Amino acid sequence: MIGHQLALIRREIWEHRSIYVTPIAIAVIVSLVSLAGMVTVSAFDKEVNMALFGASNIAGDAERRVALTVFFLGTSWVFLFALAILTTFYTLDCLYAERKDKSILFWRSLPITDAETVVSKLLTAIFVLPLVTVAAIIVTHLVNLVITTAWVAIKGGNAAHLIWGSVPLFDSWAAALIVTVASAVWLSPLIGWFLFVSAFTKRSPLLMAFMPLIIIPIIEWIFFRSKLFASAVFGRGEMIPLFREMDIEHFFDEERMKVNEEAVSLLAHIDIGKFLLSPSVWAGIVVCGLFATAAIYVRRYRDDS
Amino acid sequence: MSSLVTARGVSKRFGKVCAVDNVSFDIEKGRIMGLIGPNGAGKTTLLKAVLGLTDCEGDLSVLGLDPFRQRKELMQDICFIADVAVLPRWIRVSQLLEFVESTHPNFSREKAEALLGKTKVNTRRDSRVRELSKGMVTQLHLAIIAAIDARLLVLDEPTLGLDIIFRKEFYANLLSDYFDEERTILVTTHQVEEIENILTDIMFINEGRIILDASMDSLVQDYVELLTSGDNADQARGIGPIAERDVFGKRVMLFEKPDRERLETLGELHTPSVADLFVAKVKGAAA
Repeated sequence: MIGHQLALIRREIWEHRSIYVTPIAIAVIVSLVSLAGMVTVSAFDKEVNMALFGASNIAGDAERRVALTVFFLGTSWVFLFALAILTTFYTLDCLYAERKDKSILFWRSLPITDAETVVSKLLTAIFVLPLVTVAAIIVTHLVNLVITTAWVAIKGGNAAHLIWGSVPLFDSWAAALIVTVASAVWLSPLIGWFLFVSAFTKRSPLLMAFMPLIIIPIIEWIFFRSKLFASAVFGRGEMIPLFREMDIEHFFDEERMKVNEEAVSLLAHIDIGKFLLSPSVWAGIVVCGLFATAAIYVRRYRDDS
Repeated sequence: MSSLVTARGVSKRFGKVCAVDNVSFDIEKGRIMGLIGPNGAGKTTLLKAVLGLTDCEGDLSVLGLDPFRQRKELMQDICFIADVAVLPRWIRVSQLLEFVESTHPNFSREKAEALLGKTKVNTRRDSRVRELSKGMVTQLHLAIIAAIDARLLVLDEPTLGLDIIFRKEFYANLLSDYFDEERTILVTTHQVEEIENILTDIMFINEGRIILDASMDSLVQDYVELLTSGDNADQARGIGPIAERDVFGKRVMLFEKPDRERLETLGELHTPSVADLFVAKVKGAAA
């Protein structure tokens, strides 16, 4: 069973090379952009003593940590945004492409159940894609730290102290891992819906997946003058019950940054217990399970001939 | 003899259309059964039912299992090639072998490698399926199938779109690499003349019904073709041929359960080809 899952997940990575090509491409772009940024800054200001991070004109260690964390957070968001797009396209394609090219007949000629197959695609979407993304985030951070170290050293700065001494590596990476996987679990109802659409639609899964998401709110508004569906679906992205009461967008608040070193920690803002105990999380998982079950049912019972 | 496939009153409806209509048959171990029928006769639907890909009415047992409800168990002992195009086009040859090895308990990687070693695919292990020719894809698929220790092999138009050389080679390899008395093959094809010499049994299906189910040995006994002309033709016609056609000005009549001694006095007797018999049976069923 586990052996099958590993083989099936490996097959997903073989088939959908974008799972690793996209994060690698973004890692390269982010690194090039930050390199170009440093070169540009150097060209215009011979007296530079401020870098994107590790800048020597930032006074204390806490402030430097904040600067580095902001940079880390910024690059991580680029990856998360790409992950959302990647997951959408992957889940819409994974049960559709095999029917389109008829390879489903080959896959079904092997002693693997439809449930095992659909579960492997679900696990790929919820865990493998986020994990690959987090790995890319970590590599990007390291590459950028090395570039910056070289840059600071060239400028005569003490990189060991300015950067490596203050850099909140573990904190940023652990936060990236938790936020990425938790976001995938939180948005799993959408992932389940996409898998279901991918399993049943005869054409254009993208259109079939998004049309109901647009039409149902309109119908709801016309007949009931309410926005329950829209807020449940589109509002879900903002409502993730993972962060402590403080608003993450405002946590680099001037005052806090100066007074409270712990405010620099991203992990300090994450509350896993709150996430795991949230009924909305579990309701989402149930909805995802229902859609996945429907996808299994369709793959098994539908006769495409 | 042990029956590998047993069908009793099997039907499959799509809305009002009855694709398979109350069909009953048995396939014994160690046989090569040809399922022959015109387009839309219900061949593929029947095969899908046997493979557990579609549900059906009636009693259908394959290797003692309910194919639809016990498909995973069934697939350990069954292989099928639905048509040449079904291997995923994006996969590399080496990946395909690795995947089947890790998911199929009865697959022998060594045997597959040895079989591929004899084909043109041998030097293309890193190629993707889409980069291989149609013939090579079929060789690859057959090598994988032949390396699976399965009891029943189901082939649905396995050589569609291949040239004659690959088609001949496919069936030759099928016999040499795959078939033995422990294994059973169920095959459908349009090119019946190419496989009739390897079949042990034959089944004709038309409009969802089986119109002939016989061993090849019994066909030779039960059907005869008479080549005749003139008065003899009129006499022969009186005996009641199931089909009659014109070949170079002579009459060719097909008889079922013939009185050979009497027919011999009226002209030359031949064993009919499966294709001619098939045409006669289908037309007879339609009349």
